Amino acid sequence: MASVASTSVRTTRALDAAGTLIRFGLAAVWLVSGWLKASDPNQTYVAVQAFDVLPPAMVGTVAAAIPFLELALGVLLVAGFATRPVGVMSAVLLLGFVAAVAQAWARGLSIDCGCFGGGGAVADGDTRYPQEIARDIGFLALAGWLIVRPRTLFAVDGRFAGRVEVEEEPTGGRSGTHGA
Amino acid sequence: MGGAERTARRRRQQQASGARNAVASARSNKPDRIKLVVGAVLAVLIAAFVVGGVLLTNASKKETEERGVAVAQSAADYPVRRDGGVVVAGKDDAKVTLDVYEDFLCPGCGSFEKRDSDTIEQKLTAGTLRIRYHMLPMLNNLSDPPGYSLDAANAALAAADAGRFPAFHKSLFADQPVEGGRGWSDDQLIALGAKLGISSSDFADAVRTGRHDSLVRDVFRKAGETPHLQADNNGQKVFVGTPTIANGTTVLDIGDPGWLTALTG
Repeated sequence: MASVASTSVRTTRALDAAGTLIRFGLAAVWLVSGWLKASDPNQTYVAVQAFDVLPPAMVGTVAAAIPFLELALGVLLVAGFATRPVGVMSAVLLLGFVAAVAQAWARGLSIDCGCFGGGGAVADGDTRYPQEIARDIGFLALAGWLIVRPRTLFAVDGRFAGRVEVEEEPTGGRSGTHGA
Repeated sequence: MGGAERTARRRRQQQASGARNAVASARSNKPDRIKLVVGAVLAVLIAAFVVGGVLLTNASKKETEERGVAVAQSAADYPVRRDGGVVVAGKDDAKVTLDVYEDFLCPGCGSFEKRDSDTIEQKLTAGTLRIRYHMLPMLNNLSDPPGYSLDAANAALAAADAGRFPAFHKSLFADQPVEGGRGWSDDQLIALGAKLGISSSDFADAVRTGRHDSLVRDVFRKAGETPHLQADNNGQKVFVGTPTIANGTTVLDIGDPGWLTALTG
């Protein structure tokens, strides 16, 4: 009985550590991509326009909002605040990016996604749609982990979860997946 | 729903659920409230961040709003006339006639003009070169707000009517707005005309009403249908883009700065 318990504790710790790495990894993705976009707003406008999906009047607002949404998600992930909802928002945003790239590919547009700055029209041979989509799916997997198992170390969430666990300990024990 | 109303409703629900659920509800109530608070804080944080960012971005993108177009004087001394949506510059008996396709917002066109406009001007004045300027609204959606390419091309045709095309055209490329940023407004285009000596209200009227817009669009449509101006894109023919300089039906390579001298001697 004792050895089973210690094995599960060890597994839990390993999963917590993995989740923590994933949380900081996804945070880094959002902070870097958000910063590169926010620091060159004109180029970001060009990149968003190049997808050719938004009415012209909306391009400006969306192009201005996306970098800061990414930065906000990055900051929240660093803090480990509301990890599961932030994971859900990250996944929704990434799915949106994948859809945008996929439609550009399907329509035969020649653009760079501008995922990490840059973007806009490119020469016909210079598109990288499969790589861009594969990369976003990789990021989606990170977000997916945090949705399924948001518990991580060094997280603001841990303070809330900790209190809840203390209260629940006598009746149920820990499930290991307390979200915010 | 107000907080008091929400609390009252929850109290009623708790009373209705009775003592048999008292333990369960006491256990689930606290995490619920935490979730609510976390959700509210999350929504406020993200909204504040994004709205702040949008305002900051919009403020930073209005560089052209603060000032007028800088004037680039032209030493032009050659005939200029408007032929529909095309401006023809230089003497009709020049031995070389080139078709220049450019967009006032296109960065490559700005580089081309900054590098070659002096040489071009000399050869137009010398009478060895004639240029047909096709000003396309190709990047019309790439200014924020959209529409600068068309507005500028329309204004340039009006400037040709007013006899000030060379300096007007040169100034717009020398002080070119950034792609993705704010272009020059109609008022700023009119002010540039005034600085260049266009005093007629007819020019201002043409700029404000977009008098030549349909001519500009026609020129773009024709460029898109001209066989020698098409490039192959995965089996589809698409317009080669701007800047493009054609000598008859031959699209020229202008990568070498000496291209024009090699052509006209």
